[in-house]
Amino acid sequence: MAKTKNWSGILVAGALFAGSPAHAADPIKIGVPVGLSGANSVVAPSVVQAAQLAVEEINAKGGILGRQVALEIADDQSGADGAVKAFTSLILQQKVNAIISMETSAARNAGLPVVARSKTPFIYTSYYEGRSCSPNLYVDAWVPDQQVASIVDFFMKEKGAKTFFLAGSDYAFGRGMLDFTRKYITSKGGKVVGEEYLPMDASDWTPVISKIRNEKPDALISSTAGGAPNVTLTKQLRASGATVLFGNLGVDEGTAKSIGADATGVYIAQSYLTSIDNPANTAFKAALEKKFGADMKTPNDLSEPEYDGIYLYKAAVEKAGSVDPAKVLKALGEVSFDGPRGTVSMDKEHHAALTMYLGQVQADGSVKTIQKFPDVSPGNQCPNLK
Amino acid sequence: MINLGLDIVTTAAILFVVAAGLLITYGVLKIINFAHGAFLTIGGYSALVATQWGISPWLAIPLALVIGVVLGAMVERLIVRPLYGRPLDAILATWGLGIVLVQLITLGFGRGTNFVQSPVQGALVLLDTQYSLYRLLMLGIAIGLGLVMAAVFQLTPLGLAARAVIMNETLAQSLGINSERVRFLTFSIGAGLAAVAGALITPLLSVDPLMGVPWLLNAFMLVMVSGTSLASLAAASLVLGGAQVAISTYSNPVLGSLSIVVLAAVVLRVRPSGFARA
Repeated sequence: MAKTKNWSGILVAGALFAGSPAHAADPIKIGVPVGLSGANSVVAPSVVQAAQLAVEEINAKGGILGRQVALEIADDQSGADGAVKAFTSLILQQKVNAIISMETSAARNAGLPVVARSKTPFIYTSYYEGRSCSPNLYVDAWVPDQQVASIVDFFMKEKGAKTFFLAGSDYAFGRGMLDFTRKYITSKGGKVVGEEYLPMDASDWTPVISKIRNEKPDALISSTAGGAPNVTLTKQLRASGATVLFGNLGVDEGTAKSIGADATGVYIAQSYLTSIDNPANTAFKAALEKKFGADMKTPNDLSEPEYDGIYLYKAAVEKAGSVDPAKVLKALGEVSFDGPRGTVSMDKEHHAALTMYLGQVQADGSVKTIQKFPDVSPGNQCPNLK
Repeated sequence: MINLGLDIVTTAAILFVVAAGLLITYGVLKIINFAHGAFLTIGGYSALVATQWGISPWLAIPLALVIGVVLGAMVERLIVRPLYGRPLDAILATWGLGIVLVQLITLGFGRGTNFVQSPVQGALVLLDTQYSLYRLLMLGIAIGLGLVMAAVFQLTPLGLAARAVIMNETLAQSLGINSERVRFLTFSIGAGLAAVAGALITPLLSVDPLMGVPWLLNAFMLVMVSGTSLASLAAASLVLGGAQVAISTYSNPVLGSLSIVVLAAVVLRVRPSGFARA
């Protein structure tokens, strides 16, 4: 007994002199600025749960490079002003090693300069309008090049739609997605008969719905901020009696579920659906259920990439051998993670090739997969980044 | 065209319901109750609680009324009454109160956005078009509310006393009218109406702690241009609400959302008495 004590004493002394192993006690901090209030507040809890699950699993298996991982959650209020505060406080006060989060495009764009100043690695885990390029930014979710074609092609070929109406929230994601969609529809010989935007926080879609009624399009394609605006648009559209073919570019499965019966029949295209059948997804859903029980939020295409994002960061830190931002940023483009969405690697100009699913919301809130598109490339998002 | 007409009258109906409580408080107490938006939010959360309890969404309306009236009565006694002699301070106090109430709601329910069940679903076929049943219902409710309020003002002793206080409070007091009681009842009813309005608009929209802010702004501008008359408020809701719908439909919704505030300011500049007859 006495002998063991001696040995450990020497070890501790050695560690203190060496310096770095003592440092190992500090956790690696991951900042998660997310819209706990505002438009994203409908989806934010599921994002936080995905992050907490990933961190718990990583810590249970010894952490990253022997260091535990700690989460710092901050409310970005789903917008630019809140994001600047959240990023500044996470980076300057909490001294996080990385930012890994799902946010609105407005919040992401506001956070990028803060990240650039401190050279903090930033993994953005929300689908978005594409072509946001920064040496500090990696994205593990889809861009319009991967998503829009699946819905538009299906509407044109299978449903014979020729005229389209586009409706969205008035900010980078809404406008960016619909801009891409309009060009795509036109290039395929379809016609866009109307395009309308409401402010991000607006919840009264009356004028947009009357225009849809006047134009009588074959199909409606919407792209609103994730969460609340989807719910109000869908509910008010159904209450108006409109039965138009409806494809939603900006709704995730969790939000579709909270809309309830009014979402029935809506087409969505996502890289993650709860119904994906592989062992990693089964384990992911079981682990969420075990950890959160009745409080579990439906995992969705805005929350699952958060889980992947944290594992991708872990892989990058392990490859780099340290949390040094420059080394981690280089490694992020080289590592991959086998998760519920299959193998994800952010090796395409800081973006990821993803398997996409075209689904239709069913009466019980589940999403039925209609078509699967394996390994869809994000295209040329950031040709200036390697 | 029919749809545009329906959009205009139903939007005006919603604005009327939202501003009615603020109008009577302003008429009798001569202060703008800046906690009106928070009372409205409380009504929205009453509807949410009704949904969570699983009771009929219709019951959300009386529930909101009771909560609003009780809260209004407490606020009048504790905060507004001691400041009767200092109207500016009273306005500031209601503003502060609004902030406190919103924070309390945030503490209790979180910052997230919630949705309530609607008492009626779907659309009604009307003059060869389909229109949201709930919005049509709002129109009926607004007309009913306007008639009841007008009847109370014209036909009941409280209404008579309230009209006297609105016209000349000192003279009313000298005639033996207990203006303190009139103020108390008016403020409580005004708060109750705000909460009812909150419960009524939430099935169309969503519930979050800041839901009252845009409504407070629009209601404030409407009351500014309509003075103390219900008829002027109805006219102002129709004209300004109609402008909002028309601008949103023919130009763009972002501009439309500004139209009430901008047009109200223009109206007051051109005609200081606004829509009131005086």
